[in-house]
Amino acid sequence: MFGALYAAAGSDPAQLVDVAREFSPRIDVCGPREITLDVSGLERLFGDARTIAGELRRTAADHGLQVRVAMAGSRTAARLLARHRAGLTIVDAGDDAAALAPLPLELLLQVRGCGPSGSPQEIDDTDADICASFRRWGLRSLGEVAALPPADVAARLGQAGVQWQRLARGEDPAPLVPAVPEERFEQALDLEWPIDGLEPLSFVLGRLMDPLSAHLERRDRGAAVLHVRLHLVSKAVHERSLELPAPMRDARTLRTLVLLDLESHPPAAAIDRVVVAVDPTPARVLQYSLLTRPLPSPEQVSTLMARLNALMGEGRCGAPGLVDSWRPGAFDMCPFAPGDGGGEGGEGGEGKALVVALRRFRFAVPARVLVEDGRPVRVTTERRGISGGRIEKCAGPWRTSGEWWLADTGSGGPGGSGESGRSDSPWDRDEWDVTVSDGATYRLFRERDANAWFIDGVLD
Amino acid sequence: MANTALAVLESALRAKKLDRTLTTALPPVEQSPEACAQTGIAAVDACLRNGVPRGQLSELTGPRSAGCTTLLLQTMAVATRRGELAALVDTFDRLDVTSMAAAGADLGRVLWIRGQAGGPPEWAIDRALKALNLVLQAGGFGLVAIDLADVPGAMLRRIPFTTWLRVQRAVEGRDTACVLVVPEPIARSAGGLTLTVAGRTSWTGSSARPRVAGAELKMRVVSPRRRVDGEVALSAYVAGSTLVAAGL
Repeated sequence: MFGALYAAAGSDPAQLVDVAREFSPRIDVCGPREITLDVSGLERLFGDARTIAGELRRTAADHGLQVRVAMAGSRTAARLLARHRAGLTIVDAGDDAAALAPLPLELLLQVRGCGPSGSPQEIDDTDADICASFRRWGLRSLGEVAALPPADVAARLGQAGVQWQRLARGEDPAPLVPAVPEERFEQALDLEWPIDGLEPLSFVLGRLMDPLSAHLERRDRGAAVLHVRLHLVSKAVHERSLELPAPMRDARTLRTLVLLDLESHPPAAAIDRVVVAVDPTPARVLQYSLLTRPLPSPEQVSTLMARLNALMGEGRCGAPGLVDSWRPGAFDMCPFAPGDGGGEGGEGGEGKALVVALRRFRFAVPARVLVEDGRPVRVTTERRGISGGRIEKCAGPWRTSGEWWLADTGSGGPGGSGESGRSDSPWDRDEWDVTVSDGATYRLFRERDANAWFIDGVLD
Repeated sequence: MANTALAVLESALRAKKLDRTLTTALPPVEQSPEACAQTGIAAVDACLRNGVPRGQLSELTGPRSAGCTTLLLQTMAVATRRGELAALVDTFDRLDVTSMAAAGADLGRVLWIRGQAGGPPEWAIDRALKALNLVLQAGGFGLVAIDLADVPGAMLRRIPFTTWLRVQRAVEGRDTACVLVVPEPIARSAGGLTLTVAGRTSWTGSSARPRVAGAELKMRVVSPRRRVDGEVALSAYVAGSTLVAAGL
């Protein structure tokens, strides 16, 4: 036995859900004003179907809702009856088709116009066409549609017509899929004594993360974003949110990530209360392969990157990226998130020509260069570890300039890419490749504006 | 009896027949291709008997402009093209990303850990070694390299040898090939290799308008345990000169 609640316009959908949940966990939200629920087994609690319907209506009134209630053998029949008749409507099991027979055809159009998620959806052209066809055939009620030969309906209107006919008989198109109440994945702990420092906090986090992880696992969910709220003794709230690169629920990993983040962003005072919440997302489905070398899991990569960022500083670890720029040494730091794709496999491109690499000084090293006949003949620098001396061979100058059309707002140093790899400062320089007496080959450049020499890198 | 054993040991040491680690855990002489990270250069891989051994600490040594960085980037590029992950601990932030891309690396599979170019070098080295430990302990990387090429030899020798023992322990038994880029041999594990590179820049063009063509590299492999001693001569090209040669 199923019941349907159809609320008056302007009712609060959440209140309607609350009313239904007071009676049964198996509810289906059919629209903002409409809910069906499975009332099987409620007879022992309330009595017969009429009593249950009366209780439903009274409870709704207690919540400030005016509802129509219908009880029938199928959800479709209950919905159609609730939409059509005010008050209480009770249909015994097996009498659904007879009860629906006098109802107008347009009711089906309304029922099919509500999406399964409860949101009103557009009535598509097919339904409108089928309804118009039935009307052209002179059919006005659901009973007349139900009486048509199904084979002929299928021949003329296709499967959509057959579905209409089943609904007109009160048959459900699909079993009831109960709506799952929105769950909060949150754990909190009030501390008896305020704690100061990360070490005691790690134990507290461990106590919170374990049940949170178990909850996520039960629901087959992973954490997409991890929120940590620390209520401090100063009445302030220290909030941190970690966006995780992949859904994860390993308690140890989550705790480590939070601790590493709090190492970089510590709270200002002792902690009174700890709240950990996650934004859930469907868990990952992994397919391992026997034929490829396994990559580290997202949990391992996240933990490693958090540890490295804590050690080296933010923005100093990641995947190198190229920049669409002529600026010498321009680069980008991208998040390191290796996927399973990519890689050519096999031996990895043997026979490719060996390309000489440049070791680039991120901040160009100032140098003193002796120039004769327009060519550098000697280079010296005060930077320890860089040998200068007489220049044996040199090639150049290779002139390069750019971004002179932009304002000089960058911090890239003398025409270099700077710490971050990007800069907006203009550059205008002559580059030379020189081999000094000890055999080392450097790339020098002369800033044309300042007429100053720098060592850009060394070929190695 | 004890004196005889001591004499044998001393004579072996004088003849340099013992590895400096004095371990008895000899790795097998023949390594399968899966147990090595290939460099992608046929001559080098043949000399190394399939490449740089995994689960071992190897060294790439040579003076400035010898070609160590060229070989390192090539090996990393080949590793990434095989679908493996590679990590570079760049102690003094010297990596030229364009050079790495020119070597053919899949940049998305490279973890680049940039050290601080300024500041006391001891701090940068200390952080780099800690970062190396973290990466090795995390696992999952096919090749992990640490660039200490710009560290003076005296400063390198001040690093306690236990540091390298810890690195060896961290990499032991894993599928990771760990490579140190250093100016002089300082540490390698018993089954690791020392690749000493000596190269010079090659020039082309007229005497009035010369230009850098590339580099002539000579690589010598030192590995008493694996008996893969030998020398390999290689030619490398500057990316621009390759384009010139191709008529682009």
